[in-house]
Amino acid sequence: MTDIAPVPNPALPNPALPNPSAPGATRRFVRADGPDKVTGSGRYAADLQLSGMLHAKFRYADVAHGRITTLDTSAARAMPGVLSVLTHADVPDVRYSPGISDRTLFAKDVVRFEGEVVAAVAATTKEIAQAAVDAIVVEIEPLPVVNDAEEAMAADSPLVHTDWESYEADEAVVRSGNTVSFSSITHGDVEAGLSAADHVITSHHVADASHAAPIEPRAIVAQWEGQKVTVWTSSQVPFDARAGICQTLQLPTNRVRVIVPHLGGGFGGKCGFHFEAQIAALAKAAKRPVKLVFSRREEFLAPDRRREGMTVEITSGVKNDGSITARKARIVIDSGAYASDAAFFPQLAAMHVGGPYKVPNVEIEAHLMYTNHQPSGSVRAPTAPQACWALEAHTDQLADTLGIDPVQFRLQNCVTEGDTGIAGQVYGAIGLKECIEKAVAASDYGAELPDDEAVGVAVSWWPSFPGPSGAHVKIDDDGAGQIITGAQECGTGAVMTLRQLAADEVGLQPEDFEIIYQDTGVAPYDTGATGSQTLINNGRAVVRAARQIADELRKLAADHLEAAPGDIVLADGSAHVAGTPTKNVSIPELAGIAAGGELLAAHGSAPPLDYPTVAATCVGEQGVAGWVAPQFACHAVRVKVDAETGVARVMEISTAHDSGTILNLTGALGQVHGGVLMGIGQALTEVTRYSDEGLQMNAGMLEYKLQTAADAPPITTQFVEPGGEGAGPEGAKGLAEAPNVPTAAAIHNAITKVIGTPVNKLPMTAERIWEVQQ
Amino acid sequence: MTSYELNVNGTTYPIDAEPSRNLLSVIRDQVGLTGTKEGCDDCECGACMVLLDGQPVNSCSYLAAQAAEREVTTIEGIMTTEELAPIQQNMLDAGGVQCGFCTPGMIMSATALLARTPDPSEEEIKIGLSGNLCRCTGYAKIFDAIKETVVSL
Repeated sequence: MTDIAPVPNPALPNPALPNPSAPGATRRFVRADGPDKVTGSGRYAADLQLSGMLHAKFRYADVAHGRITTLDTSAARAMPGVLSVLTHADVPDVRYSPGISDRTLFAKDVVRFEGEVVAAVAATTKEIAQAAVDAIVVEIEPLPVVNDAEEAMAADSPLVHTDWESYEADEAVVRSGNTVSFSSITHGDVEAGLSAADHVITSHHVADASHAAPIEPRAIVAQWEGQKVTVWTSSQVPFDARAGICQTLQLPTNRVRVIVPHLGGGFGGKCGFHFEAQIAALAKAAKRPVKLVFSRREEFLAPDRRREGMTVEITSGVKNDGSITARKARIVIDSGAYASDAAFFPQLAAMHVGGPYKVPNVEIEAHLMYTNHQPSGSVRAPTAPQACWALEAHTDQLADTLGIDPVQFRLQNCVTEGDTGIAGQVYGAIGLKECIEKAVAASDYGAELPDDEAVGVAVSWWPSFPGPSGAHVKIDDDGAGQIITGAQECGTGAVMTLRQLAADEVGLQPEDFEIIYQDTGVAPYDTGATGSQTLINNGRAVVRAARQIADELRKLAADHLEAAPGDIVLADGSAHVAGTPTKNVSIPELAGIAAGGELLAAHGSAPPLDYPTVAATCVGEQGVAGWVAPQFACHAVRVKVDAETGVARVMEISTAHDSGTILNLTGALGQVHGGVLMGIGQALTEVTRYSDEGLQMNAGMLEYKLQTAADAPPITTQFVEPGGEGAGPEGAKGLAEAPNVPTAAAIHNAITKVIGTPVNKLPMTAERIWEVQQ
Repeated sequence: MTSYELNVNGTTYPIDAEPSRNLLSVIRDQVGLTGTKEGCDDCECGACMVLLDGQPVNSCSYLAAQAAEREVTTIEGIMTTEELAPIQQNMLDAGGVQCGFCTPGMIMSATALLARTPDPSEEEIKIGLSGNLCRCTGYAKIFDAIKETVVSL
């Protein structure tokens, strides 16, 4: 396994990088939560037990669409050991969800997907709770099932939400009928561009839905004390979870405390607000703490965070000189039964189908459609892997039509510094071209390979998301530091990297800091483990707070050493006078002095970076056409295809990423490797299959195939640090989502090279590859 | 209810439980050791892996009563001194730990692998861990941790 350390290009100035030797390229990274995790002593939400704690179970719709005609909980309420039973009638009648308020805590009259919660029970044991939910009488009159997003667009399609017009929604969201949200990006004159082309090529692509599938099924514990509730939950976004509880149970934020114990992965699947309010309401009604732990089957069926199915039709005009003259596309996305957080998906998908290319004339429309499937929501780089898979398959077809090598075609057409992107954004220093060159050079591209093997190449991009974020930093009397942050660690190591940033400012080691995190009761706001945003936003907040501490330490040291504060250097655990290292005082000693006077405690927050302006016309503007500090990647994948069975196997992957300055190499490599494996799964095996009744047919780990250790190919990773403007400290950009984007596309292009015909369905299962070959 | 004694990490615990209870739930709820995780209850993810007389088993699908009179080792029993065991330290140093939910099961499988194959090939490592799903790491750094442990032993 070869990983190549990032080497900043000396030819490119890097104004964002004051000290090129400082970032995490060579520094050993030690996770603050590491010992908890390797010893089994770390507590996850399902590990918590409280005195008097009850167990919750949900009753689900179990059908995709229908009207509730009978809902009788009397038998359940009468069972010994049952302390609370709730339905819609027992909680405030509030609709919620970001963008479009189309959801209630419990089904109200109509059920719209099989995993919709109809009722909840809290009982003294799990077994009694299950018996009680089974004893609830639910009769549902079937309504016609909208089982396909394309069919949902038909004029005569049944409506999933007949009263959608009455729902509150952001003004920017364009809605009609089953259309949750519509967006278009128009730039230049696409018809003129197509007329000017030497070739016009159209391709059609269908991607199935898939799942985040974190290994930890979600768990929630809620406990009331007086008028205040504490909720321990496996959430990626504790402040979002708090907001959801406050909105639906009508509580002020200071009476709701959300704490996330260690979180067993999320990948977007644990973003948003999920079931915390139902459990809090059960606990309030029962006057006892209540715990919910999902089974794996529930984890597949009930959350509103499935990765969306998508159909894409792309038409591009190209000239014989290899330039792209125009691109037109139509995207249809399956939102499932509710909007979840997906209102911005159409614009994001449109950006990805347009791609990181110089295309002067663009007209892309994207429709997010209600169906009677599980709701879709932000799973790791939402819409991007599917849209990239479609676009990059199409890009290989363009190159093939022109008889140009697909890598050369990409190098010719990809955006570089000073170029204008599809929505009219002009880019600064970016590393896409270098990513292509490096990833391809480290692969077997162009080498002689057996007939059943080939290397496919794909490029991708992804935004960095600015957001408000805060942190406190303090150093107590013994010199030990604490970072108290609103940021949420889902495993990526982003929060773990914060102590490195704080330590660098005050001259201590990362290990000198402990991190108090994922507790809304003690820390300022942060968006959470979502949008690859932790380091770029919370990192800046921590640096700001730590700089105030550093200033205080310099003043204290200046007094102590009889020097000017500006001459004090903080390094290696002490303060010394510049040029006179022997004239020094230790930071613990300074901390002891501060503890008797003005405390070493600071708050940091940085205003979110402004979004760049775009020149395109965007109907249904959702704020994701102009990207701050865009990230870029190229993956080159060698694939072997067995002609007899259609089984494709990934042999080797070469990756190159521009995610700005890499602050933590260990963490960064972990994101690339994990993203790539998730991408292989999405490419070849991961799919949610639906029955004609709109029910999931493979809601279990046996039937939903994640990649195993035995499947894992060697991965080579190179980081390109182009020295452009980053969004975070020291020129960093996000990284957690980007590696998941181009892998499936590159695999597609390798398979097509081997078998000669594109497989335009995702995942490209053995069956589908075999069928195309026949 | 049946009564039996369960030996976990060298300590004997008296257990009263339904005969149908699986080993995972008894370890977590009655013995009180929560390092062993439940990820699927279906023998598919390996998060609940423990050693039974040194052999790795998915404790979600093993009857607790059948483990009586045998030695159960969980993640909490891996450290023989105050220091982390080499595989634990190497998992951290290599970057083989992210969310950590699969980590206890992964370490149990790795421990069993190294006990029966002290110098495993790349292929043997992959097969040895193929019953443990990890969604975070892509497995690469876990392989590195095992190789490093082989070198250090």
